[in-house]
Amino acid sequence: MRLEGSTGELVSDWLLLERVVQKDESALSALYDRYSGLVFSEAKRILRDTGAAEEILQDLFYQIWRTAERFDEARGSLAGWLLVAARNRAISRLRRKTGKIEELGENGVSLKVDLESIAAQNILLHKVRAVMGSLPEGQRQAVEFAYFEGMSHTEIAEKTGQPLGTVKTRIRSAMETLKQVLG
Amino acid sequence: MTNGEHIRDEEFLLLAAGALPEEECAAQRAHAAGCAECAAKLAEARGQAAVLAFLAPQERPAATIKAELFARIRAEREADHRYRWPTKSEKEVSAPKTAEGLGRTGAVTTRHPKWEWVLVPVAVALLVAAVVEWRENQRLSTELGNANRQIVDLMNERQRTQMLVDVLSAGDTVSVKLASTPEMAKAWGTVQYNAGKGMVLYSAVLPPLPEGKTYQMWLVPKSGAPISAGVFSPAHGARQLWTAEVPLNTEVKAFAVTIEPAGGVPQPTGPKVLLGAS
Repeated sequence: MRLEGSTGELVSDWLLLERVVQKDESALSALYDRYSGLVFSEAKRILRDTGAAEEILQDLFYQIWRTAERFDEARGSLAGWLLVAARNRAISRLRRKTGKIEELGENGVSLKVDLESIAAQNILLHKVRAVMGSLPEGQRQAVEFAYFEGMSHTEIAEKTGQPLGTVKTRIRSAMETLKQVLG
Repeated sequence: MTNGEHIRDEEFLLLAAGALPEEECAAQRAHAAGCAECAAKLAEARGQAAVLAFLAPQERPAATIKAELFARIRAEREADHRYRWPTKSEKEVSAPKTAEGLGRTGAVTTRHPKWEWVLVPVAVALLVAAVVEWRENQRLSTELGNANRQIVDLMNERQRTQMLVDVLSAGDTVSVKLASTPEMAKAWGTVQYNAGKGMVLYSAVLPPLPEGKTYQMWLVPKSGAPISAGVFSPAHGARQLWTAEVPLNTEVKAFAVTIEPAGGVPQPTGPKVLLGAS
């Protein structure tokens, strides 16, 4: 499996996707190696169930294989789409909802950071954890309840005993801080 | 917000973080579907929220999952190739004689009246043969899948063994003994931790827990919240070694084992039963 081009440079997601459209299994394999850890970890953190997380991971990459031609570079990042789709599916399963399956290309995700190499992923991992670790406990907790537990601001307010307005402010503040640090 | 109004700026981040109730999300998504400006802002907010995924403990999926994915893809490609309906051009290439015959009205029945009755049993025989072949293919696919899984299992085991050797032989691997707390006398454990490789190896002698409970290993960093190194259930009388990948280069001041609900928790909630300073 080749993650790199003939001159040693990293092959972009878009070039790999073009090869997936041509039914090149090695290209899908490279994308899988690039993002499976992130997708699996996210789904497992939400569901706390290895089997269910593996199922989501496999279904997402199978969907890429089947419908890669629908992905439109202009609408955003493949890594972003994978992370958002994995979260949505895991939350739907967690909350026993039957959500619509996201199509590649719809619900664009504009990710302004590079995740195409494992090194870049590690750098971002430490950056995000450092930012979130520096936030007041209430802000960090509110964001984690929303993102990983799928709780609405009303549910978070009920769980934490905080006023709804406070919960909204905490989530916005945390996300704004993250936005500024990530640039 | 109604479908005609733009999404308010302060709502994009709440929506992307997943904090809005489902009905509000649906209304906003519906609006964004028809509004390029809001769709772009929403895509940006989604990208900001997506990096929250990095807060999850990073783990690699088992290699069998990738093998199964590609087995699924290959089985589908093979099935498509074998059983796909002929395309129009293929029909045209393969059917000129038939077309010619049918062009003469009544020619087929008048030319081969004695053979017509043979077609029914032939069709049945072909159908039976197809079913038999399909079942044989299924059996062979299952056997092939099992063989692939065994190969992948062996490769995983080899990789794991190599990883254990690498960590245990590395000069910068730290060894920590875990002592029991008053919560659980006579228990003990050991941890091997390599910060540069982001690997933790541990074993523990602990009594079995009641159903619905599990032990969970934690790294306590010098700054920040504890990091889970996985849940485990020691088998009575067996020496077991558990491994976990943790964020690279985490400076650890202590290791601890707690009792938690089955499946584990993001942050420790239960009593500490083993503790050791790094």
